[in-house]
Amino acid sequence: MITATTLKLNLGPQHPSTHGVLRLVLELNGEKILSCEPDVGYLHRGMEKMAEGMTYIQYLPTVDRIDYLAGCFYSELLCRTVEGVNDIVLSERVRAIRVVLLELNRIASHLLWIGAFLMDLGALSPFFYAMREREMILRYFEKLTGQRMMYNYFVFGGVRKDIAYLEDIEEIIKVLPQKIDDYEKIITDNPIFLKRTRGKGILELETALNYSVTGVNLRASGVNYDLRKSDKLYEGFDFMPVILKGKDSWSRYKARVLELRESLKIVEQGVNKLKENTNFDQKLINPLTLKLPEGEYYSEIEAPRGLASVYIKSTGEDKPYRLKWRTGSYYSVNLLRKLLVGEYLNDAIAIAGSLDIILPEVDK
Amino acid sequence: MNINDLRNIFGDCELNGNKICIKYNLHEFLSNLKNNYSFKLLKSITAVDLGNETELLYNLLSTEDEEDVVISIKVQNEAESVIDLFSSAIADENEIYDMFGIRFIGHEDLKRLYMPENWEGFPLRKDYVQDDTRLVWNDNGDNA
Repeated sequence: MITATTLKLNLGPQHPSTHGVLRLVLELNGEKILSCEPDVGYLHRGMEKMAEGMTYIQYLPTVDRIDYLAGCFYSELLCRTVEGVNDIVLSERVRAIRVVLLELNRIASHLLWIGAFLMDLGALSPFFYAMREREMILRYFEKLTGQRMMYNYFVFGGVRKDIAYLEDIEEIIKVLPQKIDDYEKIITDNPIFLKRTRGKGILELETALNYSVTGVNLRASGVNYDLRKSDKLYEGFDFMPVILKGKDSWSRYKARVLELRESLKIVEQGVNKLKENTNFDQKLINPLTLKLPEGEYYSEIEAPRGLASVYIKSTGEDKPYRLKWRTGSYYSVNLLRKLLVGEYLNDAIAIAGSLDIILPEVDK
Repeated sequence: MNINDLRNIFGDCELNGNKICIKYNLHEFLSNLKNNYSFKLLKSITAVDLGNETELLYNLLSTEDEEDVVISIKVQNEAESVIDLFSSAIADENEIYDMFGIRFIGHEDLKRLYMPENWEGFPLRKDYVQDDTRLVWNDNGDNA
């Protein structure tokens, strides 16, 4: 309730640090936030409604747009669901290709986050460094798929064509760890950075579960929940989920940096597998005759911004009867209602930034 | 948590894989699952328009063994809100209200989320008109 002593402030929807078009209606007492009401929907494209009027292959290129920084994950979800129905088991090489591309995509996404987060805090240089390294990955994707962001590379039953230019990935694996060290040198123990993030935006375990927060944000609050561990796609890859107990903005930053390193490890293993196993064989599903039998289908994956899942109900037609996406950011935005209360306005940007919210994923 | 153990709790219910179809007392069941059986995370609420009724699917995650369970209930135009159990439902229920027009009893702040405030109709319902004349792309009034 707005009273004479409080101030209502619109943060966004065109605010540069909301990473898209998010409007937060804040109620302030001085500089202290009393309540926060997120207002979303500025980027709504009707992805779910659209699906009901399209065949699966027509819909496939659009799903990259749900999260344009990590499009591979949503293609993978749709492909995985269709493959599951048709009992298709991916060959070792195709599986390795997918894992390598997914993890490269995750690295690119996290790198952008690090840059943008630091820019939210007023440090401009890390953004340029992070974009420089991200550029290596985007260049690689461009070379391989012809696209920098919306790859449309995964298809039902495999991938569009065999992977190539492995030497470029090896270059990334070689260069990136040093660069991450450099980031850590200028960011991690920087006193200004510590003051703005340590102990700020504490996300208690109970709150995190109650608000369905998943992914890195949940793991930075001490929960060991990483879907990749139980994911069949990642079978045979050795990595450790990053679990931190700090619960604050700083832990969420640190968790992402550590996750970058873990992802690089997975990419390296994937490249080794690709070198050993050069037998590229896949059984693609004919998309023109593709129909899902009547029933309900559900798949999920660990996307960079939390648990992503798709639910499809089919009536045996070539189009889904109902298709629902679950995305991590949607719940992170909802969490702002709770997380910003009691904090200062100055910290609102830092805390919202630390959750890695991306708006196309929220609005769908 | 074995899915068959859950049958004992629910008594009269239909089991289908990890999906449990119930007919009433949604709030009580979810409360029981959350407080006594460690299903503390509500992954999502999905609504499906079945024509004469709407199916709501509550996808819960057990924090103990990472098992999923789906609670399904069929409703007409109203359903019980679970925001006092799971705060994430604030967002889910609002989205379902916006897209399907289901009113959640106990959710005070239901409003249009993605659609404009004065929008008529609920887009994800099957009876929603596809060639909506309000969606005009140019001055001639042609739909895209």
